[in-house]
Amino acid sequence: MRPLHFIPLLFMLGTTVPAAAQTTLRLRGSDTLGAKLLPQMAEAFKKQAGKVSFDIAAEGSSTAFTNLLTDSAEIGMSSRKVKPDEGAEFRLKGRDLREFEIAWDVIVIIVNKDNPVSDLKKKQVLQIFTGDIRDWSEVGGNPGMISIYTRNTSSGTYKDFMELAMKKREYGTNSQKMAGNEQIAAEVGANPHGIGYLGLAYAHAKGTKIVTIDGAIPSTADVKKYPYARPTFLYTNGEPTGRTREFIDFCYSPVGEAIVTKVGFVPKSRAK
Amino acid sequence: MKDPASTSRPSVGSLLLKSQRRVVLGLEKQRAIRLFFAATSSVAVIVLVLIMLFLLREGMDFLPTYRHELEIYRRAGLEFCDILDRPLAGHQQLCSKLRRAASASLNTITHTARSRRDAAYEQMREVEEATSLQHLALSEALAQVPPAAPDELTRLRQEMHEAALAATAALPQPAVLTAAEAQQLKQELALLGPEVTDLPHLLAALSTDYIRVDMDAHAAFKPLVDAVEAFEAAPDKLHALIDEMKKHASETKARVTEIQNTVGGRPHAEPVDFARSITPLTDRIPELNAKAGEYALLAQQAAAALPAQAGTPQATEFLADMRAQLPAHLAAMREAAAGLAAWNFQKPVSYIDVIIAFFFGDAWITNSSWQDFFGFVPLLAGSVLIALIAVLIATPVSVVAAIYTNQFASEREQEFIKPVIEFIQAIPSVVLGFIGISLLGDAIKGVSEWSWLQWVPGFPIQERLNMFNAACLLALMAVPTMYSLAEDALNNVPRAFIDASDALGATKLQTVFCVIVPAARSGIAAAVLLGLGRVIGETMVVLLVAGNRIAIPDFSAGPGVIFQPAHTLTGIIAQELGEVSRGSAHWQALFMVGIVLFVISLLINWCARAFVRSFERFKS
Repeated sequence: MRPLHFIPLLFMLGTTVPAAAQTTLRLRGSDTLGAKLLPQMAEAFKKQAGKVSFDIAAEGSSTAFTNLLTDSAEIGMSSRKVKPDEGAEFRLKGRDLREFEIAWDVIVIIVNKDNPVSDLKKKQVLQIFTGDIRDWSEVGGNPGMISIYTRNTSSGTYKDFMELAMKKREYGTNSQKMAGNEQIAAEVGANPHGIGYLGLAYAHAKGTKIVTIDGAIPSTADVKKYPYARPTFLYTNGEPTGRTREFIDFCYSPVGEAIVTKVGFVPKSRAK
Repeated sequence: MKDPASTSRPSVGSLLLKSQRRVVLGLEKQRAIRLFFAATSSVAVIVLVLIMLFLLREGMDFLPTYRHELEIYRRAGLEFCDILDRPLAGHQQLCSKLRRAASASLNTITHTARSRRDAAYEQMREVEEATSLQHLALSEALAQVPPAAPDELTRLRQEMHEAALAATAALPQPAVLTAAEAQQLKQELALLGPEVTDLPHLLAALSTDYIRVDMDAHAAFKPLVDAVEAFEAAPDKLHALIDEMKKHASETKARVTEIQNTVGGRPHAEPVDFARSITPLTDRIPELNAKAGEYALLAQQAAAALPAQAGTPQATEFLADMRAQLPAHLAAMREAAAGLAAWNFQKPVSYIDVIIAFFFGDAWITNSSWQDFFGFVPLLAGSVLIALIAVLIATPVSVVAAIYTNQFASEREQEFIKPVIEFIQAIPSVVLGFIGISLLGDAIKGVSEWSWLQWVPGFPIQERLNMFNAACLLALMAVPTMYSLAEDALNNVPRAFIDASDALGATKLQTVFCVIVPAARSGIAAAVLLGLGRVIGETMVVLLVAGNRIAIPDFSAGPGVIFQPAHTLTGIIAQELGEVSRGSAHWQALFMVGIVLFVISLLINWCARAFVRSFERFKS
């Protein structure tokens, strides 16, 4: 019987020893946060704190809560507040869900600077990007077909914009998918009939001008009044401790806020 | 010949013995070398087979995966919602025409007031832009806690004012404003700053002026404006109903995907009962029919209320267009509504349906919140059209260059031209892409705006990034291949043909165009085909320059279609493969696109080889 005792022992050696030496933080949830912001944050945190590894899977905000409930994540990422029914499920199980607002996501609409249109209604933006409105004269501009420049499908902003501005409808077939913010800015700057959207960090590009939405100006000073801005959150089960606490504190540190800005979000401390 | 040293050399026998020692694994040296070379060349074959197997393995799963997705699309009722939603999109096309007609009509009255207001706003923006630094510094100082020192504020205010003065001084006088107005505007704009919250008086006056005129215009075109609004609002109830149903269908779909993702995970997750979840949708057929009928009625009423004449001839034309297209749209709606009852959520999705959906689908929609569709036609159309334009440009250039260097050029010219053309091949395609974005795009756009070129179809062009731009660069990339091959083909024309032609007294030109070129034509055809193969597989240039619009090019534009943007087979793989999750339908769809590209390239190469072979037969 003696040799059999080794087997569980070997298993324990195989599993517990590395886990004790290094903590793994499992992050689950929103694509918006999980695509760029948190991976970059995690890299920077690893450099600073060492001996920690991350396992990030971004499959949509609702997976943040399902994973937290089953303890298969330490941190949930969400681009919306927890829904009442989700919160109820946590309370039912005696869990204490904690919320951390980490950044604001702001998308700016730009047009060519020679375009007389400088304000659009939310409905008009929706109709333009879905291809219902095809001509600038329909929104009070000079006649001419609208050229729409969007991010490509792999970008988080592509999907965010659908949720924020397009009621989840598809982009019109007349939209052109550009590689990045800079390319959108360059094309809108060169095309008097162009329209596009950008992260706030890229908004002041040559030859373009920012369109106000129902009169609201997108700026860090006025984020909360602007329709295409939304807060993003991290959630934890109970008050975070240990590495989880350190990581969340890191997100609010100056280094963390610099990363938030670089990725095109507005840090919570600057969003008013 | 014997010399003393020869005694120290090993004997013939020992040499033979030595070579015997080199036998490794029963192979002698010669054989081993031969095998090594054979193995190396067979690596190429093996790699090719492996690539094909890999592509097939990843891509072939696409059909079952996509079939499964389309099955869910049907079972969960998403397809049911789309039955009416699809044709309803036509309503917006008609609305667009009406809005344009209304806008053009109103513009006849509001034009002056609007351009005066816009010119003034434009000037304010320019001043604001020029003074943005000073503006920021002053507003930060004002917001400071504790407040900044008074002289500091005075200094910043002074700077702000000076900057605004300098900016206003540089403003040109807009043609639509009188000299006095322009002067007043300048004075008012010079006072701009963070502490000024009111709009400058002139701007406010121009704005109210515009609003007044706009109201007059609306009154003047009241029947038109009202009819347009009525037409826009006609499908509101139908839309609301469909949206409600869509929500239900989406929820069913979300439940299905959730269960799939947690295979064996949650014990309480029951399989979705489609029959039960579909009834709330199918129960609504009478309601849908009623709302669709109501929409048709309202739309017809609105159309009937449209005035015969709008403000401008073009606007009247829009109205006529709309009236002509309305019956077809309403017929499509009626047909769709009739199809509602026949729709069955249990109808199986066959592989043939899937193949048709892929190879003949006209929409490539990915990362959608509703349903992903992988229709291949828009991408194929873009790729083929770009490749054809590129070959059309490259063929004359390379063939003419080949004929010239082969037949007419002096030796020194040949030594110069050949390496230069072949050097083009060395330019990395991403560099060409940059040239396309930064130089060629602007150049083509600039040329298209020249007034004496306006007879060219498609001019002036709107997009810098378009198929023609990409095709020009691809043509440049194809020229070296095509040139070299065409030159070889000309070289291979038997000497006897030329001699015979000379002997019959033909001139040089006659020999070239009546003997050499016809004799080399299959070789030249092979060169063109291989150029086409090179072009259709190119990725970087089309990704950067073709404009990436996923839609079948609008051929109604005539030859001007080449100035539209498009997306391509290669471009879509490069753009989307990076971030799709492995094994998903999207991933597999991209591999299917890869397989099709591979097959196209193989076919082109095979054709080219067939041409070359026929050429060789002809020679012998």
